[in-house]
Amino acid sequence: MLVAPAVLIIAGLRLYPLALGVNFSFTGDGDRNGQAVGLDNYAVLLDDPLFREAMGNVWLLVLLLPVAVAIPGMLATFIYLRVPGHRFYRSVYFFPAVLSPVIVGAIFNLLLAYDGTVNTVLGAIGLGPVDWLGDPDVAMFAVVGVHVWATFGMALVVFLAGFSTLDSALIDAARIDGASLSQVIRHVIVPGLSRTIQFVFVTTMIGMLTSMFGLLYVMTGGGPEGSTYLPEYYIWIQQGQMNRPALASAASTVLFGVMLVVGLAQIAVLRRAGRED
Amino acid sequence: MKQRTLTAAAMAAALALAGCGSAAQPDSDSGGSEDKLVVWDWKSGDENAVSYIELAKADFAEKHPDVEVEFVAQPFDQYYNLLGTAIQSGEGPDVMMFNGGGQLRDRTDALLPLDDYIAEDRERLAGWEAFSADGTAYAAPVTLQGHPIYYNKDLYEQAGLDPEAPAATWDDLADDCGAVTEETGANCFAQGNKEGYGIQFWLSGLGSGVLTDAEYEAWIAGDRDWSAPGVKRVFELWQESGDAGLFNDGANSTAMFNDMFAVFEAGEAAHVIGLMSDVGHWKDFSEFLGAENVGVMEAPLVNPESAPSLPYDGGIGYGAAEWTADPELAADLVRSLTSTAALEAFYADAGAIASDTTIDASDAGPAASAIVSRIPDGEPALHVALSSETLELMGRLSQQLLSGSVTVDEALDQLAESDQAG
Repeated sequence: MLVAPAVLIIAGLRLYPLALGVNFSFTGDGDRNGQAVGLDNYAVLLDDPLFREAMGNVWLLVLLLPVAVAIPGMLATFIYLRVPGHRFYRSVYFFPAVLSPVIVGAIFNLLLAYDGTVNTVLGAIGLGPVDWLGDPDVAMFAVVGVHVWATFGMALVVFLAGFSTLDSALIDAARIDGASLSQVIRHVIVPGLSRTIQFVFVTTMIGMLTSMFGLLYVMTGGGPEGSTYLPEYYIWIQQGQMNRPALASAASTVLFGVMLVVGLAQIAVLRRAGRED
Repeated sequence: MKQRTLTAAAMAAALALAGCGSAAQPDSDSGGSEDKLVVWDWKSGDENAVSYIELAKADFAEKHPDVEVEFVAQPFDQYYNLLGTAIQSGEGPDVMMFNGGGQLRDRTDALLPLDDYIAEDRERLAGWEAFSADGTAYAAPVTLQGHPIYYNKDLYEQAGLDPEAPAATWDDLADDCGAVTEETGANCFAQGNKEGYGIQFWLSGLGSGVLTDAEYEAWIAGDRDWSAPGVKRVFELWQESGDAGLFNDGANSTAMFNDMFAVFEAGEAAHVIGLMSDVGHWKDFSEFLGAENVGVMEAPLVNPESAPSLPYDGGIGYGAAEWTADPELAADLVRSLTSTAALEAFYADAGAIASDTTIDASDAGPAASAIVSRIPDGEPALHVALSSETLELMGRLSQQLLSGSVTVDEALDQLAESDQAG
């Protein structure tokens, strides 16, 4: 009885629409609207190079995850070790986190344009222009780079919070014993922060998989050559621009499956981390 | 604690009831009723459409004084997503705006056939084809949209060319471009293919100078041979022009709206395949370059047997929803939105080439007059005949053609397959 309201809300507003969506993915679009078509939509998805590209990009994001975690980790370490001007850097690093993806995207559209600031600077030091958003081999990395820049401030704050629990006596002891900076980081800071690092891994992963849409929409529109498609963007295009809502439902179901696996894996990681203490 | 449980239970019950309520009355959320019509578009919020909307409303109020009309201006970049959702649920506006072509043809199931209501407007308005499917009209044209090739007369003069005699053949155009680039540093074409739209304008802007009349007609009629030499030539020209540096650098990362037009307006390119209405058109260009410096040229001849014409279609138009309560009322509103007085105001304020052929455009400057004078002999634009899926694929392939990761033959094979499936 006590859990009934929560169960009702979850069942009515989450599970029921989810079931409807999955059911809808087994129907057709256009002329076959409303007819049961079995697994046809999923076959279309498997056959669509664009969808495969989008799923491939999800794995690319997973591969880039360590970089996205290492950057705020390193910067937080420097701030913790009180490099000169660390107070200034702390606020500067956090600043992009308060900007909306659309604004960030618009700013970097100007900077990364072919005749934009970045290429002008590169030209001044004698390096050829790079078509940051027009070269399919570069564009995805450019967008992920901007995403990391825009969001690492939050992870930085989490790292700093983790540092505050670190026993500074350990670091002092290591220094007295003659440990170098890299040895301090490797043998004292990283083991002491293992739970924080795991937490940042999980939240950064979620951030990458769920909040890249705005940036993609503003910066590349999925292009060039479809190289920056992510499943969310694919779903949006199929539903709205191509008028194929059932196919979009099928893609949503696949994305849901992937997120489920990723989410369960993350819960497992967090549980294990919790047991270690 | 008990109190809190009760509150939560009451809230859940209220939510459940609200859900039941809307399920029991499927019409309660739909746009309008017998005495109210809801219109969706992306124009009515624009400053330069104010008098157009006012005049259309006045025209409708004369016929139906007791019916209220509500305009809901939606953001254009989400318009078809919102509309798609509305159509899926069978609840939405009574009257809605459409771009001519694929977006409308994909959704004719949800639209009211207008033929019985618009018989009187058939002659007065141009551009019906883009709003028709299988001979039935589903929306009435408001503006005409087409793809004239604009050129910068000032750059022509600087390069020692005659600004009143643009090239008539592709080879001459390439020579002229060589001269312009050498003298001024400007590129031949402003090109923006970030969204994959550049190839669409290219196909339609140059198509009439490459395809023969028979090929052109067959294409429009749906009998498209993607392996025909003319079609292949258009895509080869695209790739060759990219390779030869006729486009501005970074075409694949330059947005057509509005970076490509900005390149032309800044005098950094001699030509641009632009639009007739809304944006990227003679009025915009005139503001930057001066009306006397904006020229309009025919598609250059690539194939001596072809006959260049102005590619244009109905640009935007209004259609009525199949689910509207009183079809005649909605159709009357569509007719008011395409009445001569309203369209005249739209033409004057927004610089749109209106669909109404009785409007006099002779005082709008040389570029506009040149466009209007070509309308009677114009043909539907080639890319408008394609489905939105094929257009999306064409956009991606065109980017690959520019980067060299696909050949013209491979691209045409894929396009043929997509076109036949659609």
